[in-house]
Amino acid sequence: MVGQISLLGKRALRETIRYPEATIPVLFIPLFFLAVNIGQVSETFPSSTPFLNGQGYVAFQLPVSLMFAVATATSGLALVTEIENGYFDKLLVAPIHRASIIYGRLVADFARGVGGAALVLLAGIAFGAHVEAGILGAIVLIVLAALFGVAYAGFGILIALRTRNVQATNTSFLIFFPLLFLTPNFVPFELLTPLMETLARINPVSYVIVGLRSLIIDGWEWDQLAACLGVILAMGAVLTLLSLRAIRDYDRD
Amino acid sequence: MRGIDLSVPRGQIFGFLGPNGAGKTTTVRMLCTLLPPSAGTGLIDGLDVDREGHEVRKRIGVALQEIGLDPVQTGRELLELQCGLYGMSPEDGRRRAGELLEMVELSDAADRRTKGYSGGMKRRLDLAAALVHDPQILFLDEPTTGLDPSSRKKIWEEVRLINGRGATVFLTTQYLEEADELCDRVAIIDDGVLVAEGAPAELKAQIGTDVVAIGLEGADPAGTRAALEGLAGLERIVDGEDSLALFVANGAGSIVEIVRRLDQAQISVGTISVSRPSLDDVFLEATGRRLEVGETTDDEGGEEEG
Repeated sequence: MVGQISLLGKRALRETIRYPEATIPVLFIPLFFLAVNIGQVSETFPSSTPFLNGQGYVAFQLPVSLMFAVATATSGLALVTEIENGYFDKLLVAPIHRASIIYGRLVADFARGVGGAALVLLAGIAFGAHVEAGILGAIVLIVLAALFGVAYAGFGILIALRTRNVQATNTSFLIFFPLLFLTPNFVPFELLTPLMETLARINPVSYVIVGLRSLIIDGWEWDQLAACLGVILAMGAVLTLLSLRAIRDYDRD
Repeated sequence: MRGIDLSVPRGQIFGFLGPNGAGKTTTVRMLCTLLPPSAGTGLIDGLDVDREGHEVRKRIGVALQEIGLDPVQTGRELLELQCGLYGMSPEDGRRRAGELLEMVELSDAADRRTKGYSGGMKRRLDLAAALVHDPQILFLDEPTTGLDPSSRKKIWEEVRLINGRGATVFLTTQYLEEADELCDRVAIIDDGVLVAEGAPAELKAQIGTDVVAIGLEGADPAGTRAALEGLAGLERIVDGEDSLALFVANGAGSIVEIVRRLDQAQISVGTISVSRPSLDDVFLEATGRRLEVGETTDDEGGEEEG
């Protein structure tokens, strides 16, 4: 199955390279948000603000932009397009594991995530941020962000397989808003209103943001990194299992 | 599908005919393991299509009605990927892709993305993709629908070539000429039910008569029918859409008498033609309806698109 995943992953990456018009907007949005947010509130939260640990507000916002860059419906949309044009049937009728179709997509999501996260991190550094955990921390930051992208891709893939509808798959980005905005994305938990704090503490994605942010602002905070990785792995495991079940049962239930 | 029982001998080109919506594609999707049979069984080379799907998939090649090509890849990349998915090494895949591109006459277009291919080129590439592993059994679901006559003939040549190398071909079509031209045996299906099966020549011979087709073009069918009842050698008259089909022993010899009778009854019809029975007449006899569809092409036949 590894060979099949590698072949299908390469094909999905080739798709990304040949359709830059699908990738550029995905990268434009996080960079735009980063620039606008910093421009609007950097004077409200100067580097003397306690939770910034001496850095500019860009350091606090950077993890959110990283997640913006990697959380896309690209794989779901590619899959539903394949279902519509008939290529998906061609894959199903080949003697391959159906799971390799999903894993091939996720491999490409990881590679895209690494590229997107690296670009956004470089932009953040250009805006004045630095990674307190050093170069190794920056690498871990990029890998964790890319893994979050892989986990998040499960939403789009699942909707694509269940609905077989481009419009429905496209609306999977709506999941993004509660997941990424009911979090301590602008200020820490303690500064949120009580209701928002409760919602943010319930939302597991908050701990991904906090974990990524800890590498930038605080250095190596192992408990926060463990929570971040735990959430990413749990979310990835659940969504991937549901996607694998959906492809296994495709036209069979 | 209702109670269809079919057996296709090795090495034949088997035609599965029927109008749109008759159940042809559903049958093919079941046999290719894409759909589980809701009842009954399908065996490919002795393997159950439902329980031994993975083994079945190794033995079959499939070109479905909806052309399954990835528009982002070039023809060569698509075939090389397909070879890899069937377990070939990259070197073998490159060699096999080259052979197949040559066979379907797409070597010149091999390094262009498939989204720029014409309909005929896409069909041929899809056919090549179904052949990467040299399958023992090839399923072709309406392989020429929408193609112009010259592209259709190219596909026919390739199907004959593939069959000549020993592959069994299961072909669905709504074109009777295609079935007549290519198939060793045909099964005709209508509304999920098998209505006739046999070699095209046998099926046509079973009719045993010539067919005189009368295009009514507004003439009264009942009056026309009444005028022609009792014609010498007439076996039966079957109503069509604004037409009548007379199954008579000697078509050419009956024309004078048919014209005389219509003239006497003061009935003016549009056309009268005599033919040997066709598969369409076999379908007409079995179902009371014509099967032949218009030769529409959806602008897919040319060699290239923008």
